[in-house]
Amino acid sequence: MLPPEPSLRLVTDTVEFGTREVPRWNTISISGYHIREAGSTAVQELAFTIYDGIAYVEEGIKRGLKVDEFAGRLSFFWNSHIDFFEEIAKMRASRRIWARIMKERFGAQDPRSMLMRFHTQTAGCSLTSAEPYNNVIRTTTEALAAILGGTNSLHTNSLDEVYMIPSEEAVLIALRTQQVLADECGVTHVIDPLAGSYFVEALTDKMEEEANVYIRKLDEMGGMVAAIERDYPQMEIADAAFHFQRQVEDGEKIIIGVNKYTSDRPELEFVLKIDEEIERMQVNRTNRYKEKRDKVRFQKAMDEVRRRCEGPPCWENNVMPALIEAVRAGATEQECCDLYRDAFGVYTDPGTF
Amino acid sequence: MEKARKLRILVAKPGLDGHDRGARIVARAFRDAGFEVIYTGCHQTPEQIVSTAIQEDVDMIGLSILSGAHTYSFPRILELLEENNAKDISVVGGGIFPLEDISKLKEIGIKELFEPGARLKDIIDWVSSNISPRRGVVLKK
Repeated sequence: MLPPEPSLRLVTDTVEFGTREVPRWNTISISGYHIREAGSTAVQELAFTIYDGIAYVEEGIKRGLKVDEFAGRLSFFWNSHIDFFEEIAKMRASRRIWARIMKERFGAQDPRSMLMRFHTQTAGCSLTSAEPYNNVIRTTTEALAAILGGTNSLHTNSLDEVYMIPSEEAVLIALRTQQVLADECGVTHVIDPLAGSYFVEALTDKMEEEANVYIRKLDEMGGMVAAIERDYPQMEIADAAFHFQRQVEDGEKIIIGVNKYTSDRPELEFVLKIDEEIERMQVNRTNRYKEKRDKVRFQKAMDEVRRRCEGPPCWENNVMPALIEAVRAGATEQECCDLYRDAFGVYTDPGTF
Repeated sequence: MEKARKLRILVAKPGLDGHDRGARIVARAFRDAGFEVIYTGCHQTPEQIVSTAIQEDVDMIGLSILSGAHTYSFPRILELLEENNAKDISVVGGGIFPLEDISKLKEIGIKELFEPGARLKDIIDWVSSNISPRRGVVLKK
């Protein structure tokens, strides 16, 4: 929505506000999930996400926070894709890379600052519309990889992910998948059970090395914002996505039901229909909500958000206190976003392909 | 007299759906196949898409959408093309479409819909065989 610099500023406001006012709030989830879904390789997901984390830590320090004050409340969000051991190694590598970065690059003293706490979601992009029940198996192995990789929390996709937001039946299977793994299989009773495996350790080392190549390259480019402005991560991702598509169409990457062991089974019926009346109801509800609010209080609050956005980034201009007041005064998400777009400009995606 | 040119395609993402991996891959495949391609990026309104299509003088708009909002945006785009005297720009779609919507969309003038599993070569072959350039345009061989 917003260009990289103001986006970073708002993130830093969130981190600063949490650190000072809401110390048990996990301030940000640094995501690789979407990078992977866009078609990146596992190593790119690892490197670009950790580098985004580096950018956030640098901003926090620039803002005047001590690294041990805020690093312990950062968290990450990994994808869990279909290559079982690669994903486990990726998550293991992420722990070591982050710990080293926090200690050696940023001088963290508190062990909590060095923790790689992460949520994982199984890979939506690995699922198929052909033979959708195969997706239950994919989600299961991806969930298991995430557990063995040490995830702190987990999202399992529904089998109808490709088609629509999930049906009740599909959601239940996704939930039960986690519950069977968590409560029946015993895999959550051991920390890092694959540690010491020749193969997994070798793969972990390899991924750490390859990620560090990217990290050094991004340093040479002058940081993540500079790299994004040069389209570098975008091109890497686009190249990887195109390469993967070629591999699938050439049969080099096998997807059961798509390019191997295909069948003529009919696809799923679309069972989720959203009544258009709901849109009208919500619009009316929002309008009534805006009618009823204290318009003077609302405007004063929005003016203060605006004033802070326009000022130089610092605690006095941290948007969060003003934003909270604005929301209490009845501001809608649309209105807040409109204000941000107006104050900071709209990001125009160069549309690299 | 118009100089001969390559077939020009606009790949566009209408609405709030931000999933553009497929759109970018198809755009690249089109470019590799010798078409001239412009990609709008995400979060375009129908008005923006039609305006860009006309400004860029494209022969075809490829709309990418996975969110179900094609029921609004596709007819609206066709409507705007008609209003702007640009009905000679073909429109195709790619993404997720319920079976019952496919025939409805074709009836109102969407020339083809490409669903999950569509192969790049098949899309390109289809476009080469089925999409004519705009009125008055001569295609470069």
